[in-house]
Amino acid sequence: MANIFPKWTNQLPIQILVAGGVLFVSVIAGMTYYFTPKYTRVGYQPVQPVPFSHSIHVNQLGLDCRYCHSQVENAAHSNLPTTQTCMNCHSQIKQNSPRLATVRESWKTGQPISWVRIHQAPDYVYFNHSAHVNRGVSCVSCHGQINNMAVVWHHEPQSMDWCLTCHRAPENHLRPVNQVTNLNWKPEDEPPGKDGKPRTQREIGEQLKVAWNVNPPVTCAGCHR
Amino acid sequence: MKHVFQHPPETPSPTGRKYWRTMGELNDTPEFRGWLEREFPSGIDEMETDALSRRSFLQLMGGSLALAGLGMSGCRRPEAFLVPFTKSAEWLIPGEHLLYATSMPRRGGAMPLLVTTTDGRPIKNEGNPLHPASNGGTDTFAQASILELYDPERSRTFLLDGQTSDAATFADWVTKLRAEATADGGASLAILTGESGSPTRERIRGMLQQQFPKMTWCVYEPLSNDNEREAMKAAFGSAAMKMVPKFAKADVIVSLDSDFLCVEESDLAAVRDFSSRRRVAAPTDSMNRLYAVENRFTVTGGMADHRLRCPASQVGAVALALAKAVADATISGPLTDLLSAVPATEINKLEKSLPWINEAAKDLVANRGKSLVMVGPNQPAWVHALGFAINGALGSYGPTLTAVAAPAPDGVSLASLAERMKSGAVKTLFVFGGNPSYNAPADLNWPELQKKVAAVARIGSYDDETSTGAKWHVPAAHYLEAWGDDRSSDGTYVAVQPMILPLHGGVSELEVLAGLAGREKIEGPALIQETFKTIAKNVSDDALAWNNFLRDGFLANSAAGEASATFNPAGAKSFVQTNFKSPPVPTADAMEFVMTPDYSVWDGRYTNNGWLQELADPVTKLTWDNAALMSKATATKLGLKWKEDDIRDGKGTGVTGDWIEVVVGDRKVKAAVLVDPGHVDHSVSLSLGYGREKVGRIGRDAGFNAYPLRTTATPYFVSNAKVSKVAGEAYIFSTTQHHYNMEGRALVRELPIGTYREHAGFDHEGRSFVQKFGMDSHIPPSVSIYKHPPMTGQHQWGMAIDLSTCTGCSACVIACQSENNIPIVGKHQVRRGRIMQWIRMDRYYSTMADKEDDEDPQVMMQPVTCHHCENAPCETVCPVNATVHNEEGLNVMAYNRCIGTRYCANNCPYKVRRFNYFDYNSRPLDQLYLGPLAKKGVAETVKLSKNPNVTVRMRGVMEKCTFCVQRIEEAKIGQLRVARDSNNTKVPTDSFKTACQQVCPSEAIVFGDIADPESKVTKLKKRDLNYTMLDYLNVQPRVSYLARVRNPNPKMPGAETVGMSTLKDSHGH
Repeated sequence: MANIFPKWTNQLPIQILVAGGVLFVSVIAGMTYYFTPKYTRVGYQPVQPVPFSHSIHVNQLGLDCRYCHSQVENAAHSNLPTTQTCMNCHSQIKQNSPRLATVRESWKTGQPISWVRIHQAPDYVYFNHSAHVNRGVSCVSCHGQINNMAVVWHHEPQSMDWCLTCHRAPENHLRPVNQVTNLNWKPEDEPPGKDGKPRTQREIGEQLKVAWNVNPPVTCAGCHR
Repeated sequence: MKHVFQHPPETPSPTGRKYWRTMGELNDTPEFRGWLEREFPSGIDEMETDALSRRSFLQLMGGSLALAGLGMSGCRRPEAFLVPFTKSAEWLIPGEHLLYATSMPRRGGAMPLLVTTTDGRPIKNEGNPLHPASNGGTDTFAQASILELYDPERSRTFLLDGQTSDAATFADWVTKLRAEATADGGASLAILTGESGSPTRERIRGMLQQQFPKMTWCVYEPLSNDNEREAMKAAFGSAAMKMVPKFAKADVIVSLDSDFLCVEESDLAAVRDFSSRRRVAAPTDSMNRLYAVENRFTVTGGMADHRLRCPASQVGAVALALAKAVADATISGPLTDLLSAVPATEINKLEKSLPWINEAAKDLVANRGKSLVMVGPNQPAWVHALGFAINGALGSYGPTLTAVAAPAPDGVSLASLAERMKSGAVKTLFVFGGNPSYNAPADLNWPELQKKVAAVARIGSYDDETSTGAKWHVPAAHYLEAWGDDRSSDGTYVAVQPMILPLHGGVSELEVLAGLAGREKIEGPALIQETFKTIAKNVSDDALAWNNFLRDGFLANSAAGEASATFNPAGAKSFVQTNFKSPPVPTADAMEFVMTPDYSVWDGRYTNNGWLQELADPVTKLTWDNAALMSKATATKLGLKWKEDDIRDGKGTGVTGDWIEVVVGDRKVKAAVLVDPGHVDHSVSLSLGYGREKVGRIGRDAGFNAYPLRTTATPYFVSNAKVSKVAGEAYIFSTTQHHYNMEGRALVRELPIGTYREHAGFDHEGRSFVQKFGMDSHIPPSVSIYKHPPMTGQHQWGMAIDLSTCTGCSACVIACQSENNIPIVGKHQVRRGRIMQWIRMDRYYSTMADKEDDEDPQVMMQPVTCHHCENAPCETVCPVNATVHNEEGLNVMAYNRCIGTRYCANNCPYKVRRFNYFDYNSRPLDQLYLGPLAKKGVAETVKLSKNPNVTVRMRGVMEKCTFCVQRIEEAKIGQLRVARDSNNTKVPTDSFKTACQQVCPSEAIVFGDIADPESKVTKLKKRDLNYTMLDYLNVQPRVSYLARVRNPNPKMPGAETVGMSTLKDSHGH
């Protein structure tokens, strides 16, 4: 009876092992890179139903973030403005602009505008805006320089690792509470230290952290309930 | 992989106020548009229509891997939308809680509530702490009523002769009816409704009666206080009042078949006041003493210091003997005179119990003016009259018992309505709520009677027995959906305001009645406002007063005044004389059959409520069923067999019971038997409300119907019942009494007050007498080999539970279920020990170790929840760190990390961890075993009921009490908002409560910051009654208990055993 396995099969186990090893490594490597929010989220810039430009409203007109996101200091969610908020101004300004047709339509019909969601924490994460903006964490820390964006994109990865980096060292992001919505704030804008030199973010942060008893949670229940 | 909800498609809404149009809610239509199609040009069609299924996920994964080297994009999340309102809504902050004051209409007076709403949907009921008769507590029924609102099986359509119709057709029909009724003065019109204190309903009734003077108005409640009212009319000359006990002032209370600690039977204030006299903080404190006479254990009987087992039919005889003893001791002329109305033989009928009764009487008399006799509503009217007389002799009127004006339900009795229906006089019958076809006395034969009426219009929440054959079935609006008003138990005028538009287009009783009275369709609160104006008189600004009324939920200072009630001995005597009946003492051949209210479904009105059905009865621990309860001796005599751990079908351990048939005259009931320790012999109790024929999935095939034995003459108990065993395979019950058994360690601790006074204080090690009970006395504390993480948090959370005041009512269990999105698992899963409730209410019977076959146990209740041990055994065995400690002493659960090894549950000494064996939250309970083949998803309305601040857990995940971590975080973050750029980050002392603490009517559960010396919980934990369970394990639990103190009367027979069981038999029961 002839051999069941021809001679070339002698190499097969090694080939399988090698191929398997390569596959394993590339799967792991692929996952560590492509399955992270840093890859999947950052840069996400969907087309919005209304071509609203933060850049015009904030940089040119000087609107404060809280004019539209009015409950950000009182609520977990930072609310989107109602159509009514848009119409506060746009019933008089740019009344006939075709770019605002959707807004006017919404106001007329009562049908709300469906904005495409960009930043989204998973359902099991309970992020709270008010806990951050009331305590000197600026919008810019998590959303980037929204004031310069004509169309908003996802700026930071907002992964758990990213959250914890700041929760472990909040001093890198703390600023005076009245500067939270000033996205152009620089540590140098603050009064200099005793030595007359401008203070760094870290120095300011360290000082505020102690003065305000800032103690961000780093255990599960801080965000998962 | 997390499954993403399939949300409903968007539909236009004129106001922008629709429940799925809220921020934070993911509108998940996973159409991978634009970018996705670009990057995956082919083979992706499936994803455009479907959610991210397992198959498509694998495809995507494969795709992204294949493209990895080319640097092309991987998968992205499905597109989601944020949909703000068009017009800003007043008060509403997207995603934040908004509280409204309202009240739940109840038979004995509305329960004041604060309802938590989120994005326009009510999600949680709490008591209204501003209301004078409420301490912020509620009960099981108020908690579970939220689920009823969202019950997908609630009736949704108008039915005309069984065919779908609509509101407009019904309105036309009512208009036509008006014309007919006007013609005959309403002679052919009858209205059947339930008890209600609503002044608006009373007002509309007045309007109706004016228009249709010959109309029949009937008020019927299966369980009512009619007997008491009848006696009151004779003894005080008026039924338009009610007797309000002042438990805070009563030192000695005798309960004659009265379950006054059940909130439905009395009110929150009664439970609160009673509990206030059970708390012992120091050896010098006094406490009240409760004697209970009852045939089966109730929560009140469980709290009693002395309990007399007595057939329900013989409670009258006990009352007579008690009256005799009181009369002799007080030399009360009127009482002695009254006793002459009954044969002397009756007084000494219960010879064996006389020593007990006489001692109780002596105690009552010794505390004249500070004592109280309570008679249960299920006792005949003459016993109530006797009770009034005893209270008179004891001088209770004034100090411990006051009469408060309360309008008696006005209308003809159900029997006289039935009479009119039989004669054919009634052509049109409106049935509001209730369910007479199921719960009317059997002798009326209501279903047949209803056929004699040409047109029956049924306004009800469910298409049930009464809707069968009715011309009209109209879906009723839930009380959280409609405007209304009511009076609370103290007579305060309260608001009932809607939290949400009717989910299924239901209409309220008031709307239909107003329509019948010829009012145009009413929008908003107009009807109520009219009434309000007549009640809130001397107000300068109507609009302001109305706003305040809605804000507070009640009208301040509108409580009913004291009624002038003078006890009329002659009236009482003649009443007793005419009404006295002496049911025979039950024997083996002629037993008594007792129909009792049910702690889960009451009279059957809550049958389709899953939370209540799965809530174990406080005493029997029975879920999803009722059972014929009897004593062990009686069951043995009947030749019945029962098993407590039947594993016959390999599907979990069930308690099984044989079947019996109870025959009274030509009526009979068949039911399975559950042996109930502490039940009196020759008596069978079967609770009402089960065995429904036409009911939703939840209430189907649950329990046995007791109503067939209920007649107009014998509504609550019936004597001369022939009880016999019938053949049949033993019935399997699902009880929770075997669940999470803690194997006989000294877990519950109780002691008589004398012992406490003797041993109060701490030893040189700082350990109290109570802490050293049982195993903790002689086992040296073990040492932890694990180091727990540093508890550096500013707050340290802890809980203390006072066993002296916990009645075991289980309101906390439902409150927790409502707050924490805990699913129900169904009868069969309960039997397998898979109940999900985070709080387990342990009921311990205690008997003396040296007394065999003791049929007269005492009852101890102990709520057990996660103890948040500092040296938590669960944490050390978790291979994935899914359960860890946080810096504030919480043992936290990260659901997303959990891989379901269940090691933690194995290692938990308190057995408080619960595992999601199935997707209880998203699969039908009868298809659990189909796995992925089962239907996925639940009704939209059920999703609305969820608390958005708590994760809904899926299959394969462990869960347990979190100390309401969402409330803790909410409080902490709330304080951060206040602190802003200051260091004032400490949450104010006792500024928030956990769900179980908030609901507790007796304030037995106290939660707070144990690092704060001022907090209530810190103070409680310093008491010498404080003990921790399984102290010798050195797990350092954050939950501790205050041992239960009982107050036995030393002269009472058997007094030496009261509260001593844990002392003598320290290794448990």
